Amino acid sequence: MYAYDQFDHAMVASRNAEFRDQVERRLKGELTEDEFKPLRLMNGLYLQLHAYMLRAAIPYGTLSADQMRRLAHIARRYDKGYGHFTTRQNVQFNWPKLSDTPDILDELAEVEMHAIQTSGNCIRNVTTDQFAGATADEVADPRPYAELLRQWSTFHPEFSFLPRKFKIAITGASADRAAVKWHDIGLVLKQNDAGEVGFEVSVGGGMGRTPVIGKVIRDFLPEKDLLSYMEAILRVYNENGRRDNKYKARIKILVEAMGADEYARQTEAEWDRIKDAPIDVPEEEAARIKAFFAPPPLEVLEETNASVDEFASKNFLFASWLNNNTNKHKVPGYVNVTISLKPHGGIAGDATAEQMELVAALADAYSQSEIRVSHEQNLILPHVPVKDLATIWADLDEAGLGTANVGLITDMIVCPGLDYCALANARSIPIGQAISNRFDDMKRIQDIGPLKIKMSGCINACGHHHAGHIGILGVDRKGEESYQILLGGSGAEDASKGTILGPGFDEHGIVDAVEKVVAVYLGEREEGEEFLGTYRRIGAQPFKEALYGTH
Amino acid sequence: MAKKIKGPQMLIANRLDDGRVVFFTRTGGWSSNTDDAAYGEDEVLESLLERAQVFVANNTVIDLQAIGAVIDGDKAFPSHIKHAMQAKGPSVRADLGYQTSLDWEQA
Amino acid sequence: MALINFTGIEAGNWTVLAEDEQPTEGAKVAASVTRIADESEEFFAAVGELGAVVSTETAYADLAPLLNKLSFVAIEFPAFTDGRGFSLAVRLRKDLGFKGEIRAVGPVMPDQAMHLMRSGFDTVDVADERKEAFEACAARFKQFYQSDYRGAVSIAHARHSSDESRKAS
Repeated sequence: MYAYDQFDHAMVASRNAEFRDQVERRLKGELTEDEFKPLRLMNGLYLQLHAYMLRAAIPYGTLSADQMRRLAHIARRYDKGYGHFTTRQNVQFNWPKLSDTPDILDELAEVEMHAIQTSGNCIRNVTTDQFAGATADEVADPRPYAELLRQWSTFHPEFSFLPRKFKIAITGASADRAAVKWHDIGLVLKQNDAGEVGFEVSVGGGMGRTPVIGKVIRDFLPEKDLLSYMEAILRVYNENGRRDNKYKARIKILVEAMGADEYARQTEAEWDRIKDAPIDVPEEEAARIKAFFAPPPLEVLEETNASVDEFASKNFLFASWLNNNTNKHKVPGYVNVTISLKPHGGIAGDATAEQMELVAALADAYSQSEIRVSHEQNLILPHVPVKDLATIWADLDEAGLGTANVGLITDMIVCPGLDYCALANARSIPIGQAISNRFDDMKRIQDIGPLKIKMSGCINACGHHHAGHIGILGVDRKGEESYQILLGGSGAEDASKGTILGPGFDEHGIVDAVEKVVAVYLGEREEGEEFLGTYRRIGAQPFKEALYGTH
Repeated sequence: MAKKIKGPQMLIANRLDDGRVVFFTRTGGWSSNTDDAAYGEDEVLESLLERAQVFVANNTVIDLQAIGAVIDGDKAFPSHIKHAMQAKGPSVRADLGYQTSLDWEQA
Repeated sequence: MALINFTGIEAGNWTVLAEDEQPTEGAKVAASVTRIADESEEFFAAVGELGAVVSTETAYADLAPLLNKLSFVAIEFPAFTDGRGFSLAVRLRKDLGFKGEIRAVGPVMPDQAMHLMRSGFDTVDVADERKEAFEACAARFKQFYQSDYRGAVSIAHARHSSDESRKAS
């Protein structure tokens, strides 16, 4: 993992001192709320429905065990004993007091964390593949580049007041687990014919009320040129993005209006002028950062373990967990374990302080003290020896963290919705709970197979409903909560936009609707065909008929 | 406050210090309990707003809004689902609703 | 109003001309870009030094033909959120090689002092009561993660520089 040096520490410490001063001035009345609001937002502090909400960044979803323990401590001391992991690999605390937030930020800084640029019209936390550096299907580890981007984007002199927020995602694997095509900038690591590492660059992806899949503007950008190319893309956006209407201010609207070819042309023209300026880092700096992400020294182990197999043969839930919640590691004898934060009937993405501490302890014991957070709101223990899986599962299961549903219908993305969020129009969490209760049968959901439900409580789409195989969008229909259903979205390498099937349902109707959709799939699927494949083959019509009749 | 609301209204705000949702009360203070909330329309509402503004000016509360209210007996409750949620706390964590967390409030 | 001076440039005392107002002989005056573009040689001969007042909407390329006449550019921010002003200053320095004074005018926040300074602004006009906060913000950070077009190098470069004076203590 990256470790701060004196420069990084100084940066965060200065920021925290500044924020402490601003909070004091606000509490004394020297700053008005209008003046203070943009300042607190730049430090991730929102005012939500019930209280303030602090969003701390988990850069590229990587946490150490010590950092996780600190999050647990913050949850317990300053909040109500829990935190919420988000689709942007951040963590949110729902109940902090304004007067406590400077202390919370200092507590975070002690473990090299911050809340800088987790809000505002700036470059947000860079997200990536939760299995980065630990997966068999990877060209290169994306995290060093994500760290470079983190540093470069922090307090950028020119790009801190963009037309709108700006999100960058990067992946190094052929399977896209970071939804890169749905980001303002998506970067995919690749090798050219000469064996050099670089990026395919796409721009203009985004969700919200106008879902757009990003377009590739450069097939291969040499890795050494990453930052100057980003500067060129951002300058074109900062100068030309719309500022008259916040719903048309994202880069996706500009790219659509200009055309991706013209956006590429302007970017390349600007890049030509600046690529020799000292924007990109020296080679020694790239090497310094990469060294922090060197693969852990793992001794090759047996691929299988007799006692683990034996336990799996006797315990159906453990066998299911092995099947669904572990992913192949690049070193034989190891796996990456996904800890589901979607217990059936529970709140997606929430973890209690005790659960966080257990995960930290397991990370110390079994995963090189490393933890990852996925955009699908789960936690990951990377580099875990196969031989230890039975012990780990037993510990997780006892703490309510053993659900074997990763990648299945109950492993839903669910935004906080109207239970917490000031922007929401409808609740999301209770719908998620009702669906997972309805499908609370491991045999049944494994028979249904891979199926991603993604749910948002408003058009802003924090719950990625456009990218769900089944998407659910909560809307306000004349003062009542109503839920629309979308089918056919994907956030993976085959990215696609879901299509709204028809009129919305009430909170009970939507659960029945999901069940009917699943029934159509089960009736129509061909041997070995997953939900998305069936939908793409047969189209929306059979699903519409099942939900709305033939008219 | 841009939208014209018909009928009785009550005043909602967040406390500056802890962000907690509070309602302007009949005795001219703030309470998280809607049972204490003042309500009214027209001139009565105007006068409530005027008194409540003082607390915005002296940095006790922020985000002051007049919101639609349903009156039951002599008690007001927010009519819109969003503000009802603010009055009750998250529907999914009954253990954290305002009425059940007075200890936290006083901490 | 108070004037914050980041760079120590000799800041001009500029009179912004009203629409039909004629400059007094030898005065330091500023006017809109459209007016400057329309003015005659007599006008340019009459003024001492000339500045342009531009909005954040201005395309930097439109300033290029006027630049040899200008020793001052004031960029008006309609709101602190309008980040085009930062890019415009960068363009003036980086693409047009402008060496004169660039001033920020409008409702910019103290918190933006570092952004203004590093984008190439020399000065900013602020309300008197914000002077102290601006100065504190401008001095808060010693080094940054980005190189800028003023010639400051990034932390990434400083980390590997043989020049020890660039390294933070």
